Amino acid sequence: MFRNQYDTDVTTWSPAGRLFQVEYAMEAVKQGAAAVGLRSTSHVVLATVNKATSDLSSYQKKVFKVDDHIGVAISGLTADGRVLSRYLRNECINHAFVYESPLPVSRLVVRLADKAQVCTQRSWKRPYGVGLLVAGLDETGAHLYYNCPSGNYFEYQAFAIGSRSQAAKTFLERRFESFNNYSRDELIKDAVFAIKETLQGEKLTSAICTVAILGKDEAFHLIDQKIIQEIIDSIEIKEDAPAEQAPEQDEAGSSGAAPMDI
Amino acid sequence: MELQTLAMKDATIVDDGTTERTSYPYVTGTSVIGMKYKEGVIMAADTGGSYGSTLRYKSVERIKPIGKHSLLGASGEISDFQEILRYLDELILYDNMWDDGNSLGPKEVHNYLTRVMYNRRNKFDPLWNSLVLGGVKNGQKYLGMVSMNGTHFEDNHVATGFGNHLARPILRAEWHEDLSFEEAVKLMEKCLLVLLYRDRSAINKFQVAKITEEGVTISQPYALKTYWGFSAFQNPSKGAVGSW
Repeated sequence: MFRNQYDTDVTTWSPAGRLFQVEYAMEAVKQGAAAVGLRSTSHVVLATVNKATSDLSSYQKKVFKVDDHIGVAISGLTADGRVLSRYLRNECINHAFVYESPLPVSRLVVRLADKAQVCTQRSWKRPYGVGLLVAGLDETGAHLYYNCPSGNYFEYQAFAIGSRSQAAKTFLERRFESFNNYSRDELIKDAVFAIKETLQGEKLTSAICTVAILGKDEAFHLIDQKIIQEIIDSIEIKEDAPAEQAPEQDEAGSSGAAPMDI
Repeated sequence: MELQTLAMKDATIVDDGTTERTSYPYVTGTSVIGMKYKEGVIMAADTGGSYGSTLRYKSVERIKPIGKHSLLGASGEISDFQEILRYLDELILYDNMWDDGNSLGPKEVHNYLTRVMYNRRNKFDPLWNSLVLGGVKNGQKYLGMVSMNGTHFEDNHVATGFGNHLARPILRAEWHEDLSFEEAVKLMEKCLLVLLYRDRSAINKFQVAKITEEGVTISQPYALKTYWGFSAFQNPSKGAVGSW
């Protein structure tokens, strides 16, 4: 996207019917560290890449518990994400106070989307620069929503946002049809694998990834780093095994055909 | 949220800047009895509205369905009950407008009412009612009570007003889990009869309502058979000979 004369205010339309400030806000989401979410019929998993600005600092918190039955993972301006998480927690707690029961997830995301929409229609505000993956469970089942700065929200079986999320999306697109039947552990494993895809070569360790899960009999919580490392190790073992067989196959096939250039 | 402020701005402000509030009830309903049975919850009340000691109105419906899953019965000030029905009507309307598969069950309605009653009490402007909220949702039976000061609880059987003193002891002795509908009605009528004999604000015109997973049924008003031929009722001043 290039600068143009219609992109100064969020309240200025372009002749093509676009609000450039809103689109620039969505760019901010794409620059943030990756976050993925996957859903089965009984569980929802969120996973994020923990990017630290330097080796000396700790990483920023990107996964927030909103209530026992709802959690969010954010990507983009983490400060905006923190403020929105506080809003979400407030809405849940107010509902629970009046009705003694958990706020249905779909109603929460609509409130969040309406809040984001306000910022796209006021000259003295700017859109929130954060995308949220909202994972929740209510009496209508398990849900995964994506709320974007434009004020739109969508429901997903699985989704990925942030930098290099396309690699994760490609991975998820191949597998999402069977997610509904996945067990809790299979879901976590695929989430970790999806995160691995976004790293594209970089080593995946439990130090640079956060995984959280929520389920029918499981309140939203972050998974212990040790368990994540075990899952990462088990994924790596599976990958190393075929790699050992490959060199032998090369010798067998190199007699006649030219090597493939992919 | 709008709904809560609606329920709380009812103290009227008079011309000279002072506020008026409820101090005593005018038209009142007497006891409501509720109990759980096998398929759901059963609730009964008479259809009388008393104006002090006068039995002024004889066809007041004091039990109403709320949404798909709940029944609300009220004793106390009838106009406050009608106000509560208005609030709940709006609550259910907004809930239905979401059209998203979620719905407010009896537990949620009970808690909402508790919040409303307690808030009004804190402003010294109570809704002068004792409410019985019963319902069934997803196979779960629910029966609770809220009083005018916000005290709330759940139980297998509840009663308001005189019912607490005359009906609950009978229920404590004879209620058990999984009553059939016929057994529950019989037990209910036993309690209603005692109230009819002993509560001066009770009239012989009752409605019995039931709620199950399928829905709500409120009976047409009917009367119970009474017997006044007890020998002790003959010559009532027999024991008081000598009083002027």
